[in-house]
Parts: sequence; C-alpha cells; structure tokens
Amino acid sequence: MAEQARMKAYYEHRAGHRALPDSASSAVTNEWLAQAEAALANEEPALPSNGSSSFSVIQEFNIWRSNPELAESVAAIKALTAVIRRSEAATMMGLEKELKIASDALKAWDETSISLSAGCDLFMRYVTRTSALEYEDIEAGKARLIERGERFGDISLKARKTIAMIGQDFIRDGCTILIHGFSRVVLSILKLAAANKKQFSVICTEGRPDSTGVEMAKEMVELDVPVTLIIDSAVAYTMQSVDMLLIGADGVVESGGIINMIGTYQAAMIARSMNKPVYVAAESYKFARMYPLDQKDMSPSPRNVYFQKSLPSAVQVECSARDYTPPQYLTLLFTDLGVLTPSAVSDELIQLYL
Amino acid sequence: MAVKKGGKAVDVADDETPVPLQAILLADSFAQKFRPITLERPKVLLPLINIPMIDYTLEWLASAGVEEVFVFCCAHAKQITDYLGNSSWQTQPNFKVVPIESHDCVSAGEALRLIDERNVVRGDFILVSGDTVSNMSLKEVLQEHKERRKSDKLAVMTIVVKRSHASPVTHQTRLGNDELLLVIDPLTKELLHYDDGLLNNPNKARQVAVDRSLYLNKPSICLCTDLQDCYIDICSPEVLLLFTDNFDYQHLRRDFVKGILSDEISGNKIFTYELHGEYASRIDNLRSYDSVSKDIIHRWTYPIVPDIRFAGNNVGLKIERCNVYRENGVMLPRSARIGPSSVLGQGTSVDENCVISNSVIGRNCVIGRNVTIEGSYLWDNVTIHDNVTIQSAVICDGCVVRAGARVEPGTVLSFHVVIGQNFSVPSYSKISLIAQPTEEDSSDEELEYVEATSVTTESPQKLLEGEQQLTDITGSSPQMERNPPTVAWKESEVGPSGAGFKWFMRDESQEEEWRYSVAPIPAEKIEEMRLREEQAGVDDFDQDAGAVAEEEEEELDSVKKKRDFEREAEETFRRLFLDGVPEANVILEVKALRLGFNVEGSDCAAACFKSIINLALEEPFTKDSELFIIAKRLFSKWKAILRNYLTTEDDQVEVLLKFEEICSEPAGKAFAPIFCPVLRVLYDQELIFEDAILSWASEKQDAEEGDKIFLRQCEAFIKWLEEASEEDDDDDDDDDA
Amino acid sequence: MARAMPELQLAISDFLLKLQRRQIEGSFDSAKHTVLLLRQVIVQHRASHSGQASSFIDAVKTVGARLVAASPIELAVGNVVRRVLHIIREEEVSIANNTEDEGETTFDSDDNNNSDDDGLPVLSAAVLAAANRNVLRAPSLHNLLESAVIPAVAIVSSSSAGDSEERSRSSEKNSKGWKLKHSIIEGINELLEDINNNHAQIAEQALEHIHQNEVILTLGHSRTLLQFLREAKKKRSFEVFVAEGAPRYLGHTLAKELAALNLQTTLITDSAVFAMMSRVDMVIIGAHAVMANGGVIAPTGLHMVALAARRHAVPFVVLAGMYKLCPLYPHNPYVLVNEMKSLSQILEHEESMEYIDAALNVPDLLAMNPSFDYIPPELVSLFITDMGGHNPSYIYRLVAEYYSPEDHSLE
Repeated sequence: MAEQARMKAYYEHRAGHRALPDSASSAVTNEWLAQAEAALANEEPALPSNGSSSFSVIQEFNIWRSNPELAESVAAIKALTAVIRRSEAATMMGLEKELKIASDALKAWDETSISLSAGCDLFMRYVTRTSALEYEDIEAGKARLIERGERFGDISLKARKTIAMIGQDFIRDGCTILIHGFSRVVLSILKLAAANKKQFSVICTEGRPDSTGVEMAKEMVELDVPVTLIIDSAVAYTMQSVDMLLIGADGVVESGGIINMIGTYQAAMIARSMNKPVYVAAESYKFARMYPLDQKDMSPSPRNVYFQKSLPSAVQVECSARDYTPPQYLTLLFTDLGVLTPSAVSDELIQLYL
Repeated sequence: MAVKKGGKAVDVADDETPVPLQAILLADSFAQKFRPITLERPKVLLPLINIPMIDYTLEWLASAGVEEVFVFCCAHAKQITDYLGNSSWQTQPNFKVVPIESHDCVSAGEALRLIDERNVVRGDFILVSGDTVSNMSLKEVLQEHKERRKSDKLAVMTIVVKRSHASPVTHQTRLGNDELLLVIDPLTKELLHYDDGLLNNPNKARQVAVDRSLYLNKPSICLCTDLQDCYIDICSPEVLLLFTDNFDYQHLRRDFVKGILSDEISGNKIFTYELHGEYASRIDNLRSYDSVSKDIIHRWTYPIVPDIRFAGNNVGLKIERCNVYRENGVMLPRSARIGPSSVLGQGTSVDENCVISNSVIGRNCVIGRNVTIEGSYLWDNVTIHDNVTIQSAVICDGCVVRAGARVEPGTVLSFHVVIGQNFSVPSYSKISLIAQPTEEDSSDEELEYVEATSVTTESPQKLLEGEQQLTDITGSSPQMERNPPTVAWKESEVGPSGAGFKWFMRDESQEEEWRYSVAPIPAEKIEEMRLREEQAGVDDFDQDAGAVAEEEEEELDSVKKKRDFEREAEETFRRLFLDGVPEANVILEVKALRLGFNVEGSDCAAACFKSIINLALEEPFTKDSELFIIAKRLFSKWKAILRNYLTTEDDQVEVLLKFEEICSEPAGKAFAPIFCPVLRVLYDQELIFEDAILSWASEKQDAEEGDKIFLRQCEAFIKWLEEASEEDDDDDDDDDA
Repeated sequence: MARAMPELQLAISDFLLKLQRRQIEGSFDSAKHTVLLLRQVIVQHRASHSGQASSFIDAVKTVGARLVAASPIELAVGNVVRRVLHIIREEEVSIANNTEDEGETTFDSDDNNNSDDDGLPVLSAAVLAAANRNVLRAPSLHNLLESAVIPAVAIVSSSSAGDSEERSRSSEKNSKGWKLKHSIIEGINELLEDINNNHAQIAEQALEHIHQNEVILTLGHSRTLLQFLREAKKKRSFEVFVAEGAPRYLGHTLAKELAALNLQTTLITDSAVFAMMSRVDMVIIGAHAVMANGGVIAPTGLHMVALAARRHAVPFVVLAGMYKLCPLYPHNPYVLVNEMKSLSQILEHEESMEYIDAALNVPDLLAMNPSFDYIPPELVSLFITDMGGHNPSYIYRLVAEYYSPEDHSLE
C-alpha cells in the first residue's frame, strides 16, 4: 500500500507540476490517475530497500518540484543538497556514498524522467570531482558542496536567460515559429523576443495528451503575439508557412539527439524534409548520458491518452509520452554553453564524463 | 592660410601627384527653386534621405581622392560653416574642407572670381555644386583631361555628361531639367554647342540652329538630345582667369560655356566625358530631389547608400525586403504596412494601421494611427496626427499636421508649419512661417541671397533661427511660443489653429509648378502635353523636318514663315474651290494673309497652284491620261483666280519650281509623267508665258542631273518655244524695221 | 583607454574610411589590414598597471567594434579582431601561470588574503592554475558548477596582486607588462604570418585531393583556388571548368590565369553548371567566410553549384584560410550577412529610367545585386584550411579552439 501511496503522490505531483489550471482538466487528471495506477500496478519498481533516507530525499525533491519556476533537475539537485545538509558522514567518501544512494533512489523513483537523472548525474559528477580535489576538512567540503547546490537554482535561471539571449537572435521580424510542447526555455526565448519588439507569429501544436499547446497559446496571447493552435496531425499541413521549428527538450542525449514530448520526432522530420530549420532550446544540465538507438531504447513513460469515444477493451493504446529525435533532424541547439551543433553535444558529454 | 594648408597637404599627398587634387564646391545654387525652404536653411544642408546633401557631395569627392575642397558659401554662410566645423570632415585624414565665405556674391561667376582673387587653386580642379550626388571615379576623367591638356593647352574644361532620355511628352528629364541639346565632335568629344533652351516655347515646333562653321572642318558631328549635364566640371586653372577676365560671366552654363563656345578668337575648348555605369546627378529642383532620393534608395549610388556608413551617416540603417531601410530600434506595430522603397529614421514611431510607401521619414517623427504617406519626404521631428493622408509632399522639420488633414500632391510645408484639423492643403501649395516678400525682385530669378538680406525677410528669419535651435533641443511644439499673438494666420490657408503663410507663385511659373514639384506629373497634364505634341507632330510631317536642323537662323525663320503661310493660303483656296466661298472674299483673305506673314506674291501663286493640284489628286483616276484630263479641266475652270497671282515672270517661275517640287514629292508623284502636258496646258491657258518657261529652263540648265528630269521631259516643248520666240523676235524686229 | 597617438588615430580612421567606401574589399586584404592595424594599436597602447590584459582587450575591442561596423560584410575583419582578443587572453593566462611558478610564496600570501576576505576555503596553487586554464575555455558542462566562483578568484588574485604590489614592485610589474605586450605582439605576428601563408599552406594539400585526369569545376575567382590549382598542376594534369560568375564575371579572369599555366580550361556560363556537372569529378571553390555551423558564405551562384554537385554526388570542396572562420551563426543568412551592390553591374541607369511608372515616379524595372550566397553545411563535403581538411561538423571545434566565447559579441 505504501507503494500505492507513492504512486499516487508521484502522479499528483506530476499533474501539479504540469500546472493545468482549470478544473475541467484537473478532473481529467484525477480520472486518469486512477488508470495510471492500475496500469502500473503490476510493474515492480526497482527501488532500493533503504526506505527512510530515500523517502526523505524524494519528499524533498517533490517539495522543490512544486515550484513551477524550477526545472526537474534543479529540484533534484536541491534535494541532494538537502541530503548533504542532513548527512552525518565523517569523511568525504562516506558523504559520497550516502549521496550516491540518495541519487539512485531519486532516479529510480521516476525512471522515465530524463532531466531528473541528468541532474542527479551532474551533481554526483561534481561531488566526485570535489572530493578528488582532497578537501581535508569534511565540513569545509560539505559547505562548499551545499553552497554550489544552493546556487544551482540561480545557475539554472541564468542558463535560461542565456539561452533566451542566444535564441532570440534567430527570431527575425515577420517569421512564423512552430512550437511543439510546453517548454519554459522556449517561452523565455519568445518572451525576450517579444520584449525586443520582434514581430513574429507562433503556431502551437495542441500537444496531446496533455494539451501543452493550449498552455503555450495562452502564454502567447499574454505576450500579444499572434498565435494559431493546430492539432498534432496538422503539422505537415502547416509546415509550408512555417519558418522554423522551435522545441524544448526533456533531455539531450549523447548522440546529439533529443528526447522530448511525443510528436517531436515527426514534427522534426517534416520540418527537415521541407528544409525548415529545427532549433532546440535546452539547458546544459539536461544533457544526459544516454545513447538511444531507436525509440524502444528509452524506458517507456506512459501517459494516459484520453479518447473521446469509449474504446473496446481489446484495443491497445500506445501511451508513450516521449519520443527520441535523432540528431540528423536537428539544425542547432541553443544551450547556455552557446549555440551547438548536435555533434558538439557528445563532445561536451565526453569532456565531462571521460 | 592657404599656403600653410598647402604645405601640409603635400606631406600627406600620394607620391605620384605633387599637387593635391582640389575641388571647388559651390554651396549656394544662386537660384530659388527650393523656396520658401531655403529662406531658413541653405539648400546644401537640406536632408536627402536624412543626411544633408553636402555630405553626399563631400563623401564622393573624398572617396574619389580629392584632398582639398573649397566650400564656397554665400547665403546662410554661417549655418554652413558651423555645420562643417562640427562635422566629422574636420577629422578625416587626407581631406581638407576649407570654407570660403562671401556676403555679396550673387552668381557662380562672382564666386569663382572671388576664389581666383584668393589665389588658392594651384592646379586642375573639380567644380561642382553642393547638391551633387555621385559615385563616379574621377580617375579616368582626370586622366583624359590631363592627356588632352598636354597636347592642347586650350582644352580648359571637361564637363561630365550622362545618358538620360528626356520624356518625349514633357521634354523634361527625370531630374526636372529641360531637354538639352549638345553638339559634340564624336572623335575628339569636343563640345561644339550647348543649348538648354529647347523648351522655351513648347507651342512652337522644336527647332535648332547650328552654325555652319561648327562642322566645316569636321568629318562628322553628333547632335545629342539624350545627354544630361551632370554639372561636374574638370577645370584647368585658366577657367578662373576666364571668369576674372570676363566679368560679365555669371552663370556657369548660360554665360561661361556659351561664351567660350562662341569666342573663336581665344579658341578655348570644352570637352565632354560620358559616364558609363556610374551615377551622377545634381539636385536642382524638387523633382530631382525626388528622383535622386529614389535612386539612392534603389542603390544606384552604391556605396553611398543609407545602409553603409559614411561621414554624416554614422547611424547605419538596415536594409530589409523591398528596399525598406529601417534604423535599428524603430518600432513598428504589426498592423503598419511599410511599403516598397521607404526609409524610417532613428527614433521615429509609427502607430497602428499606417501605410507608408515610397517615402522617406526623418528622425524622431511621430506618426499617428491610420496615416497614409505616399511618395513624400518628412524631415526630422515632424508630428503627424491620426487619420492624415499625405501624398507626394515635402514636410520640413518640426511641422505638425493635425488629425484628419489631407496634404495633396506637390505641397511644400516649410519649417514648423502647422496644418489644422481636417484641413485639406491643395496641390502645389507652399506654406512657410515666413511671409512671402511683398515685392518680388524683378531683376531675375537668380538670387537666393538678395532676398535673404532684404529687410522684409531678414528679421523674422533671424528670429526663427534662434528659436529653431531652441525648439530643436526641447522638441516641444514650437509655434505656440514662437508666434506672437499679433500674427494672424489665415484659416483658409492653414486650417483652424494652423500656422503659416501660403506663398503664391508668380504668374508665369504658377502654371508650370507641376514640372518641378516632388509630385509625379499628373496624368491629365501628360495627356494635355501629348495632344499638343501630336498637333505639332502633324505640322512637322508636312515639312521636311530632317533638313531643318542645319540651316542658318535667319533663313530658317523665313522658311518657317513661308510654310505657315502656305498652309493657311492653301486652306483658303480650298474653301473657294470646294465650298464655293465667293472669289472676292478669298482674294481678300489671301491678301490679308500675305501681309500678315510678310511674304511675296509668288508665294500666293505657288499656294494657289498647289491647292489646284491637290484638288486634282483628290479626284479618282486610274491612268495618267485621266489625271491629265482632270487637271486640264480644273486649270481651265480656275484659271481666272490663278492668273490673279501670276502677273510677273517671277511668279510664273515660282509656280514652275513649285510644280517640280510637287512632282518629286510622294504625294504628287502621279503628276511626274504628265509634267510636260500639264505645262503645255498652262501655256495654252495663258497662265504661264514662254519667257517664264525659258528662264526656268536656263536656270535649271546648271542644276544637277537628278534635278533635270522634268527639264528633259520638256526638252521638245522648250525647243519649240525657243524657235517660236526667235520667230517672234524676228517678227518684232521686222515690226521695228 | 589610454590616450592613443594621433598617428594611430589617423591610421584607424584611414582604414575605417577605406572599409566604408568599399575601397578595401575581399577577406584577405581586409584581414591583413586589420591585423596590421591591431598590432599598431597594441604597440602604441600604454596600459595602466592594474588589469593590463583587460586594458588591451578594451582597446582592441573598441577599435574592432568600429571596424566591424564600418563594413559588416567583411566578416574576416571581425574574425581577426576576435583572434587577437583570444591571443591576448591566452598570453595573459600563460604569463600568470609563469609567475606562479617563479614566485610561489608571494602569490600564496596574496591568495590567502583573498580567500579570507571571501570566506572561501583555501585553494592550492594547483587548483588556481587549473581554474586559470578554465578561464579560457568555453563554458561547458565540465565547469558548469564551478564557473561562477573560480574565475572570480582568478581575477581577484591577479588584480589584487597588481594593486598590492604596485608601488613596491613597479619595476618588476613593468617588466611583466612589457612581457605581456611583447608576447601579444609575437602572437599577432604569428597570426599575420598565418594569414600571409594561408594560400601556400592550403595549396600544399592540393596533391592529396586532385588526381590525374580529373575534371574540376569552379565558379568566379579565388586567389586561394588559383594557387591550389597551380600547385596541383606541378604534378598532375587535369582539366578545369570555370563558370563565369555573373555579374562580376571574375571567372573570365580566373580562366585566363589558369590557361596561362597551361591548364586545360573551359569557360562555361553560370547556367551551364548543372549541364556540365555530370562530367565533373570535383567542385572546388574559395569561400568568403565559414560560419560556426559549417555553413559557407560565398559569392552568388555557388549555392546553385553546390546543389548541382549534390544532385550528381560530386564532392563539393571549400578552400578557406583560418581567418575566414567566423565564430558566429548565420541567424538570417539571406538578409543579414549580405550586401546589395550597385545595380549598374546588371542594368544601365538610363535603361531602367525608360520604364518609369508615371503615377509614382518609380521605375518599374529594377535589379537586385546581392553579393553572397549562403551554402548550408550539409552541402559541403570538405573544408580545406591551412590547418588541414575538416568535416563541416568539425568546424565548431575549430571555433572553440581559436576564439574565446566572450568575444563573440564585440559590443
């Protein structure tokens, strides 16, 4: 039953995190929550058994994540920082071990979240390096790690700002931008461009099943940017009038490809086939040590798909929430490390982890 | 001063030219084409695509390698020297701008005499005015000029020309200049004749007289009407001396060029240089202001274009689609439509639903909602309120056009004029805060300067200048504080609570206002001109237009008169023949015509004869014999009236010559085979006597072979006549005896 | 900025004017002039004692920004300015490292002061050195979590060293300053040499790429290409098709130059490129600039050639000296990185004026004369620079190597 409660908490947070505002959609959320629980009931989560510490770190993580301004990986790092703060380890080695356990727990809690695991990996990498620098004083080492962890939120915000600065250069007057999915980074680029009085218009895909496009469209209206909402299947239809495809990413993988909301792959393919540039905006802490070769290489992250007509129970529903877009469909990535070509991504990852 | 500068210039000069290349820039046009604007600001400082004109000229000179420019300023000299003093020209390496001020020069000639006095010009120099826009490289033309000078010391000047067709309808180039006729020796490019007065009377057929001496020693000469004078002259130092020597030379072209060309004693020569692929134009009037602005926007003047920085243009605009230039940071609402070929200056704001096309908007302008601006030039700090329509107008600094007003094509609003709400400014209006001087200087149109110093205009002007600077800084609406309440602007001229005096054009120029305004020439005017042209074209057709060109002037006049008379007289006779107007009336009318045109009786005879021939030709015939019968019938029918004019032998000879002429023309060709029989009829009808025929024959004896066709044809007849006359003589002798 | 010599100002404004008036054109000339000018700037620059390098950087940036604004189309100018800035930064770091090695004690004491002030843990010299190395590197994942603090330490340490020692050890400081200046000038001289030799160094690789009896196609004129082919001609015999490159027709010049080398040369029109492509073994062109994503800015017509080459699977090889490598991305290649030249290369003014729309007084017949094409990286098979051959996807690495990211924007 603890299992059940955990699941419920997870999905509730997930729903909260998506921040669907009106009651109608939250009703839907509750409805599919039950379904999701049922779907996952027989799946055994690979959770390490040292319950108490893992529970606390996950709780911590969820508290941070409820802040809509914070990305998932930032929340993860904040949670890990809390672990350090609470740690009673006497040596750096001990601290490192403790963190490792916590981070594994976090990662295991939501295997599907790329940014969560990317954040954990990044922080762990930093911890390892810091201890390698031989801080004799454990307290000083801890203080230092905590300080970095605390500041990571700022770094994340700064990263978003940097990306906005870089990205808005690519938006020119009179262009039409196709957006798939809701991304805070993409939004910050568009906000900055609008603030700079660039005249552009936006086409949003609906983004089933979470209707993320509706969210984006609302934001655009607030920015006073002309916006058109299309259903996901109209991407090819509208591509002719589009000047660029701008998307966020859940994670950027070693190949230089991205993992993002379902539909990104097809949108990028269509854009590429019509010679429209595909730009990805992603903070560098979303770079993940993964190398998926095809869609099935990712752990599935099911999402309830709601159909208007009731389905016969024999019909299977494909409910993956993400897909993998290979690098050859991407033109450039806007990151806080600068504008990168997809092939530069693996360089960055190799530099960090080799 | 000059010596010191010269020394410095030598230091930095290129190794190959010991004398720095100098230029004289006349920063005064000595004309009034831009009034009333030029009462407040000199023409060379007027903005052309938001940059003073003089900067275009200086930039071109500097980039073409000129090292020292003497800027001659006269009207508003202070403004020009102040501008130059604060400009970046002062700091530019290898380029020196030396202002020369004068307060009493009224013409280019005087200016050049003054410069000659100063003794600053040491070699060949370039003479331009401060309103020239060009990107030509001077290298080639200077080279040509120098080479020529080596062999011919008398080649004092080379003027730059550029191919440009005048409109066949208005006889005006796109720059608003009159059609120009140049006579050039195609081999040496020597200029032989310069005529810019072709348009003087548009009603007359356009004719040109060229002195025979011009082409006596030349294998060929070239008459060009498709060249445009760029007013860029490469001069030898002698040019200044020539101006000093001939103190009555005022105008560069009208006096100097014509003077040199007609002065055969000193033998000075002027040569031309034709531009290819490069740009050069002078802004002489508002039409050329419009045309040159467009050429710049279309980038003919590259690299002197708004998106490339040059001295004076340190902002650097960005070029967008359809030749729209926009300063960084100019904000446009989504609903504004900025059409093709437009420029938006720094700090200008445009509100919703504006439509701007083919226009230049200056800096810090404020344009309200639903404003339409088409083909217009707004200078700096102009405020346009909502729902205003502006077409093809020039609106100077600080003007305000209130909501709902209309500005019709060709309007000029001078500095700080205010147009009231919902007022419609009629076409070709000129409105200024300065009242029009009541008494025009009647001497000539020349002098911007004389007006500026006259008491009537100076005091308000000074007042304005002071305050203008003040308001330029504060940017607040100026006219409120400026205008003393005593000044009453007429609401009929500028609308409710407007500000400004309407200027009325002098009678002669009013009609021609459309020729030189910024507005395109209205379609109805073109139509009108075309009709007039067609009329003239029909007239020309009768006459041998091609042969006209190279006849001497006096002769030309009489020929023309004769032709006109002939036409009139023929008409009169026709009325007699066809409409049965009484004979007496016709004779009286022809007499009046004859006196009116001051022609001889023989001309009347020829006219009468020709109308009979024409009459004959109008009747249907298939064979020569039929035509002969018709002719015979007509001549016997009308012999009485024809005989009226054939009283003397000369008259009869004239008729014969006319007959010959008719027969050799295509229209009268049918008569050629029956020349002799008809002559016989005339003889038989006692219209032409044997003496006349014989004297005609002897006159023709010496003519060329081609001219003697008809003589040959009549040989038998003449021989017979000769024998007959000898017999007569004999008879006479006998009688005497 | 220190007072610059009037002579220097004169040289700067002279060069500026030449750029503005388009009297200096082409990447090679503008790059070379820029280096010479910047060397003069460094030579004449008198830096104040504290923050030597940063004052050099400021001086170069100020001049550089003006040069770039004068002719944004000459990307090589901006490239060279950034290269020089990178040289200054590099020299600063290497000198700082050397001083550490020499006088470790003094440095440590400085460091202690700082650390105490900032309340930071003591860092060993090794850490600092590592940090200093990081200063130059582009922001990366590697230093994402560190970047915020360590450069600050590094800067504080170097500047505080200057402050505290200014009086007592000014002579040594001066010699240090002199050393910095000297090594910067040396670096610039190397750069100048690289630029001067780039044609030769690119040409050296010719034999690797051009084989016996091959048919090469090119368009327009390029100095690099001429040398490249000349070098190949020494050992191999091959044939060259030259497209004339309207409206400048520089292809005619190249064809004659090649024929003078006894190379079998065929002149073709631009429109014949596609027709001839099936017989071509390789397309080699000279670039105007190479952008950070591997895209190429080249004279108009070359995009068409690249597409024709792709259609016939003919390798498309781009020759470009390193100074043509631009660290910027083509945001909007069709508008921003281009210049509309005079129409008169295409159309006579009076011809156009024969078609005036009477109602608007605007000619209905006009011409457009863009200078450059943008060739996307996927159409390029190989870049040959003075550093060797590179894949388009490798260009960003070169950018990271030769430029400091903080210099990408010169404002």
